[in-house]
Amino acid sequence: MMRGTIIGQVWAARHAPGLDGQKLLVVAAHDAAGRATGRVVVATDVLDARVGEDVTVAFGSGARNVLRPGPDNRDLLCDAAIATIVEGAG
Amino acid sequence: MILGRVVGEVWATRKDGRLARAKLLVVRPHAFYEPAFATGHLVATDDVDAGVGDDVVVCLGQPARVSAGGENMPVDAAVLGVVDRVELDRRALDKPGPGPGIRRPLEVPFP
Repeated sequence: MMRGTIIGQVWAARHAPGLDGQKLLVVAAHDAAGRATGRVVVATDVLDARVGEDVTVAFGSGARNVLRPGPDNRDLLCDAAIATIVEGAG
Repeated sequence: MILGRVVGEVWATRKDGRLARAKLLVVRPHAFYEPAFATGHLVATDDVDAGVGDDVVVCLGQPARVSAGGENMPVDAAVLGVVDRVELDRRALDKPGPGPGIRRPLEVPFP
């Protein structure tokens, strides 16, 4: 998973049918020290995260498991999803 | 997913039969994503009728294959949506975060 800060949201009216109802947020990645690395990803959000919140983003099958856990989720159109909203880190 | 801009189109006559009906677009990512894309662009299939100059959301990996027509498609990037609007808040990176250190400003070609 990747740590990052939510910096914005994306709206796309023309989209693939599998993307219906998905909320897409823009996340800027951190390195271990909390500095932005310049890497930016678009992630699906089902946790109702807000701009400015620190989050972790899951990729690949982990992202699909956030949306629908289980082996029958390979039809989901999602390669990055917000897995946790970070409140503190040591 | 990544944000990118469509900068061109690819035509190919000799190609895998499963790509016979696929429209292939050249997409330049708006921000550096992975070292694998150091060339600065990628080719994605398009089912949503995007055109040159459009900002798009591109999905990578297995979901892109599913979007393009099934698990066995020779595809690893697909345009999932044409972007209408992006709202970015640069101040989101300025707030004190959980980690020490100073976050450098983000270089994204959006207002």
